Amino acid sequence: MHVEEYRTLFIVGSLILMLVAVAPTLSLFIRIPSGSERFSELWLLGPAHTAENYPFNVSVNEEYSVFVGVGNHLGSSSYYVVYVKFRNQSQQLPNSTTSEPSSLSPFYEFRFVLSDGEVWEAPLTFAIENVLLQQNFSLVQNISINDIVFPVNYTSIWDSNRNGFYYQMFFELWLYNMTSNSFQYHNRFVSLWLNITST
Amino acid sequence: MRKTPSKLLVLFFVLAFSASIFISEAFAANSEDTAATSIEGAENALVSAYQSVLEVEQVGANVSGLLAQLNEAGEFLAKAHMAYRLGNFDSATSFADQGKDVGIEVENNAYELKDSAWRENIQRMWLTIMGSVLGVILIGSGSFWFWRFLKRRYP
Repeated sequence: MHVEEYRTLFIVGSLILMLVAVAPTLSLFIRIPSGSERFSELWLLGPAHTAENYPFNVSVNEEYSVFVGVGNHLGSSSYYVVYVKFRNQSQQLPNSTTSEPSSLSPFYEFRFVLSDGEVWEAPLTFAIENVLLQQNFSLVQNISINDIVFPVNYTSIWDSNRNGFYYQMFFELWLYNMTSNSFQYHNRFVSLWLNITST
Repeated sequence: MRKTPSKLLVLFFVLAFSASIFISEAFAANSEDTAATSIEGAENALVSAYQSVLEVEQVGANVSGLLAQLNEAGEFLAKAHMAYRLGNFDSATSFADQGKDVGIEVENNAYELKDSAWRENIQRMWLTIMGSVLGVILIGSGSFWFWRFLKRRYP
């Protein structure tokens, strides 16, 4: 056996072993960026914690439940606000094209910080209270959300196409922006159409 | 003469009534301002605490405990905002102050955790570097001596 013939192979093998020994130190200084997409989730579930049986035909003074949830996949802990808003048929919804929130003031809100990969969920119980129903006109005076009563005073005209007085409860997701040091609308919202009935 | 005391009495009650309206409006404006200031203070404390938690997270420490506390502060701040919108300024102030206190506590805890995590990271880094250097030396010298052994054994 002529050892010199294996010199190069021996040197390469030694260098590979040395590289293996140095790898933990290299990993301290070299960070390979994650190629996964960064996003947040926002969802609404029905009272049975499933994507069905959402409240739709709602009676005055009856309580209804949903679950609102958020998932963080932004790569680091994030500070969120979920605003609960209420509108009639003509008032403004968020604009997904221009990433603008609704100009309506929120009634209820949730504030929380989620670590990357974590999910948050909360129950929301609401009731439409003090409603004036006329032939072609309705007025919702109050809405209670999680036992807090908010004055609303929104009107709705009878929708002859869909046969009802329609309102919408919607949930906007806002995210704290470290660059601008303020909350910004995260261009995500979920909503519930509600047909107000007297009974 | 008999009419004068009754006129004075009427005048007194009118003045007292006017004063009570003025004072209550002044107090109301004051409590609204107080609530707004408290909410702003709580928001700043919460944001500052959140930034501290992010820094701790970046050095690799476990921030789950801090996040749970931060969410408690977030609940107070949410309640403060809702109470303010409803005109319950005293409640808004109370919730905001509670939120601010929790936020400050989170920030202090975060700084302590960051210090200990930083020290642990430095220790771990030096151990890793020393281990790699030792590994390279052992592999290099071991390879050299093994090569010489092979050359002597198989000239």
